[in-house]
Amino acid sequence: MAHHISKKEVILEIKNLKVNFTTYRGIVKALNHVNLKLYAHEVLGLVGESGCGKSVTALTIVNLLPENAQVVDGQIIFKGEDLLKKSKEELRFIRASEIASIFQDPMTFLNPVLTIGEQLKEVFMLNKEALKQAIVKKKVLKRKLSYSDFLSLKKEANDVPIDNINVSKKDIKEIVKDLCIEVLKIVKLPDPERILHQYPFELSGGMRQRCMIAMALARRPSILLADEITTALDVTIQAQILHLIKELRDIIDASILLITHDIAVAAEVADRIAVMYAGDVVEVASSIDIFKNTLHPYTKMLMKSIPIIGKLTEKLEFIPGTVPDLVNPPSGCRFHPRCPYAKEKCKTDTPEIKEVAKDHEVACHLY
Amino acid sequence: MNKNLLIVKDLKTWFPIKSGILQRTVGYVKAVDGISFSIHKGETFGLVGESGSGKTTVARSILKLIKPIAGSVYFDNIDILNASGKELMKLRRRMQIIFQDPYASLDPRQTVNSMLIEAMKIHGVFLNRIEAHEKAIELLTKVGLSEEHLYRFPHEFSGGQRQRIAIARALVTNPEFLILDEPTSFLDVSVQASVLNLLKDLQKEYNLTYLFITHNLAVIYHMCNRVAVMYLGKIVEIANKEELFRFPMHPYTFHLIEAIPIPNPEKYKEKILLKGDVPSPVNPPSGCRFHPRCPYAKEKCKTDTPEIKEVAKDHEVACHYAGEVSFY
Amino acid sequence: MTASRFRRSEWEARIADLKFTLYFLRKNSLVISGLIMASFFIILALIANYIIDPSLAYEFDISRKLIWNNPIINFGTSSTISYTNEIFLLGTDIYGRDLLKMIILAIPLDMYVAFIITVGAAIFGVLLGAIAGYAGGKIDEILLRITDIFLAFPGIVLALVFAAMFGRTIENVMLAVLLVWWPPYVRLMRAQVLSEKEKLYVEALKALGASPFRILFKHILPNSIYPILVQMTLDYGGVILTFSALMFLGFSPSPALPELGNLASQGYFHIFDAPWLLIFPGLVIVVIALAFNLVGDGLRDALDPRLRR
Repeated sequence: MAHHISKKEVILEIKNLKVNFTTYRGIVKALNHVNLKLYAHEVLGLVGESGCGKSVTALTIVNLLPENAQVVDGQIIFKGEDLLKKSKEELRFIRASEIASIFQDPMTFLNPVLTIGEQLKEVFMLNKEALKQAIVKKKVLKRKLSYSDFLSLKKEANDVPIDNINVSKKDIKEIVKDLCIEVLKIVKLPDPERILHQYPFELSGGMRQRCMIAMALARRPSILLADEITTALDVTIQAQILHLIKELRDIIDASILLITHDIAVAAEVADRIAVMYAGDVVEVASSIDIFKNTLHPYTKMLMKSIPIIGKLTEKLEFIPGTVPDLVNPPSGCRFHPRCPYAKEKCKTDTPEIKEVAKDHEVACHLY
Repeated sequence: MNKNLLIVKDLKTWFPIKSGILQRTVGYVKAVDGISFSIHKGETFGLVGESGSGKTTVARSILKLIKPIAGSVYFDNIDILNASGKELMKLRRRMQIIFQDPYASLDPRQTVNSMLIEAMKIHGVFLNRIEAHEKAIELLTKVGLSEEHLYRFPHEFSGGQRQRIAIARALVTNPEFLILDEPTSFLDVSVQASVLNLLKDLQKEYNLTYLFITHNLAVIYHMCNRVAVMYLGKIVEIANKEELFRFPMHPYTFHLIEAIPIPNPEKYKEKILLKGDVPSPVNPPSGCRFHPRCPYAKEKCKTDTPEIKEVAKDHEVACHYAGEVSFY
Repeated sequence: MTASRFRRSEWEARIADLKFTLYFLRKNSLVISGLIMASFFIILALIANYIIDPSLAYEFDISRKLIWNNPIINFGTSSTISYTNEIFLLGTDIYGRDLLKMIILAIPLDMYVAFIITVGAAIFGVLLGAIAGYAGGKIDEILLRITDIFLAFPGIVLALVFAAMFGRTIENVMLAVLLVWWPPYVRLMRAQVLSEKEKLYVEALKALGASPFRILFKHILPNSIYPILVQMTLDYGGVILTFSALMFLGFSPSPALPELGNLASQGYFHIFDAPWLLIFPGLVIVVIALAFNLVGDGLRDALDPRLRR
C-alpha cells in the first residue's frame, strides 16, 4: 500500500494557535504557536509525548476545551471559515456532521445504560434532513442503502428534493436501522443485528472502539479526529483497529487526524507525520521522509530512544532533562535546554516552521 | 549456590466468582492456571502477554500478595507459599516489586523522605537519624534524583521520577530479586528509555535478578535474556530472546510479534492479523486455549490441552504441532 | 541542629499543600461568609465569660421580668411597661435577667458541648469503622450490627433513659447525644477504608512488608480523614440543635442554666406575651448551625479529590 501524499486541497488549517489554561499554579501556556495543515483524503499522524499539546489541539478544533482554557490567538480554517469565530450552535452542527472525534477510552464515552443500537440511532437522528434524503433515495433505487450510497448522498444533497416529501415514522425507523447495520458492517463487527441490542459492557475493548468509529462514520464527517484510540488496547487488537483505519481511508471521503504518542503506530497508518513538542509543531513530513531524513533534534532523539526488535543496544539513548513546565516555558525555542545543538539564538528566538526540503517542514534554527 | 534463584512449579491462582443472595461460589476466574518456570540468578527474565493473560497475577502470587490455590514457589530454595510470618518478612527484604502505575503506587500524603525512612524502619535497617538521612540521599542519587527531592510529595513529580522513587524505596533493603510489573507502560517513550537504562545500571551494580513483566515486546527484546509468553493463564512458549524473536514456534507468539507496529514505513508489509478478541479467563476455551483464534487449529486442539515441553534446546512450547507449522 | 532542619523542611512541604486547599476555599463566597460567622461565634465563645460576669445568670430580679423596651423592634405586646431606665436590647426573661447577656453566656456552653460530642463521636466511630473496614469478614459483620443497633435509637428515648437512670445532668445528655451520633462515622470511615484498601499504594506497602497496623493507621487513616472532617463540620450544627432541643424539652439540670435550648424553653410558655424569649435563642442556634454548615459544604467542595491534583 502506498503512502501517498495528496497535493489536493487543504481541508483544515491551523494557524498560529495559542491556547492557555488558568490553573492554581499559574497560567499554563499549553499551545505556543501551532501551525498545521490537513489535506483532503490523507491520514495525518500527530505524534508527541504527554504534555506536548496534541490532545489540546484536537479539543480546540472541536471546541471541547474545559472552562479554564482560553484561545489567545490563532485561526482554525475549515472550509474557508475560521472555526474559532463561530458560535456554539454552529460548532455543534459542525461536530455533528463535519468533524467527528473518537477518543481513547470507549467505556467512558459510550453511555453505559443505552444499547449500542440506541446510541447509534441517536447519532443518525441528529441529521433528519439526511434521513429524509436517504428515504427518498431508497425509494428511487428500490433497494436497501449501502454506506457508500449514504456517503454519496452528502454530495448530491442539493439534487434530492425533500421539501414536499412526507415521511412516516416507520420509514425513519426503518432507514435508521438499515444504516446502523451498514455502518457496523463497515467497521467489521460480526453479527451487527445482535450488537444493536447489546450494551457497551458486554463488548470487548476492541469492539467498543469499533462502535465508536461506527458512531463517527454515521455522521459522514469530512474529518475524523482519532485521539489515542489504540492506546488502551492490546497489541493484537490494536493491529486490527489500525488495519481498519487504513481500510477506512479508502472507503470514506474523509481526512483522518490520528493522534498518538507512539510514532510506530503513526508510521503504520499515516501518510504524513507531524511531531509536537511542548506546544509547538516541530517537524512535519511524509512518514517515509521523517524516518529516512529526520531533521529536528527532538525527533532524532525521540527515534533513538525507542527500543526496536532486531536492534540490540546496551543502552537506549534518552533525552536529557525533563519536559518543560509550561507555566514557565523556556524562552525562544522550547526545546533548547535539552538540545545538544542549541546556540545563543535558540534561547531568544522562537523558530518558525518552514519548508526546508520538498514537503518537509521543520521549526529549528539549524535550518 | 543453586543456579536458579526462583523456581515456580504448577502455579495456579483462581479467583472465586460469587453470585446470588448467599454469595455462593459459582465459578472461578482462572487467572493463572498451572505455570512453571525458573529464573537464573543474575538474569532478566521476561514475561509477556496481553490483558487476561494472567501475568500481573503471577507477580502477586509469587510474592504471596495473593494466595494461589495450588503450586509452589521457591526462592533460593525457600518455600514462599508456606513460609511463616517471620520467614516471609525476611523474604520480603530480598524480593521487591515495582508496580505499573507510578501515580498510584505511592501514598499521596507521604513525602519521599518519609517513604524511604519507613521502608528502613519496617525492615530494621534504620539505625539513627543521621545515617538514615545519608542513606536516603544516597539512594536518591543512585536513581538519578537529588537531596532536594526528599521533602516533596508524589504529586510534585513526573511519572518517570515517581518510578525512580519507587525503585529507590525498593532498594532500601538491598534486595536480590526485583519484580518489575510493567514499570514503563505509563511513561513517555523518552522517559521510558532513561528508566530502562537505570534498571540496567542498577542490575550491574547490585547484581540483581529481574522478572520483567510487560506487554511491550520491543522492551522485552531490549531488556531480557529469556522470555516466557503467556496466554490466558498458561505459558505457551519459553525461549532465549533471540531464539524467540527469530524462530517463534507457537502461533500466538508469532502473531504477537507480527502485530507490533514498526517505526519504519519502508519496512512495511502486509500483516497477517489475528482474528477475534482476547478472551476472558472466566470461561477459557476447551483443549488448547488458543484454538478459537488459531489459524492452524485442528481437531485435537479443541479437546486436548497441550503440555509445555522442550522442543529445541532451551526452547519450550505448548502446542500439539510445534515445529510442524509454517507461519509464513 | 541538623535534625530540626529536616523537620522544618517537612513542614514546608505540608504548608505548601495547605496553600492549595486555601486556594479553593478562597473562591467560594458562601464559604467565606460561613467562615466569618463561625469565627465570630468561636471568638465570642472564647471571650464570653470575660466580658460578661457569669454570676449574672443567678441574679434574679422578678421586678424586671419579661420586659421589652428595645426601641427599634416592636412586638406589640403588653409587657412593655418598664420600671427601669436600662435598655434591654433583647428583653428580659422570666427571672428578670438580660436576655442578651444570657445568650452570650450560653454560647460557650453550647459550642463547647457540641465540640466534645462531635469529636468524641467521630473518634469512636472512626476507630470502629477503620477496624471493621480493614479487617472485613466476621469482625466487620459484628461491628456493623452493633452500629445498626445504635442507629435505631432515637436520641430522645436514649436521653430519657439516661436521665431516668442516672440523673438529669449535662454530662448524661451529652452522652446520650454522642451515642446517637457516632454510627454514621462508622459507615463513613468503613467506606473510605474499603476503597483505600484496594489502592495500589496499599499493595505496595504490603509488598514492602508493612504490618496491617502500620498500613491502617499511618497510611489509610490520614488519606481518609478529609470526608470525616467535612462530616464533623456539617454535624456540628446538628449536634448543637439536638443538644439544645433536648435541653428545651426539659432535660436541663436547672431551669436557670444559661443554655440556648433552655432559654428557649422559657419562651414556650410565653409565646404570646414574650415572643422574644423563644425567637432570639432559637435564632442564635440556627445561625451557628448555618455557619458551620456552610463551612462544611465549602470544605467538602475544596477537598473533593477530583478537583485536587
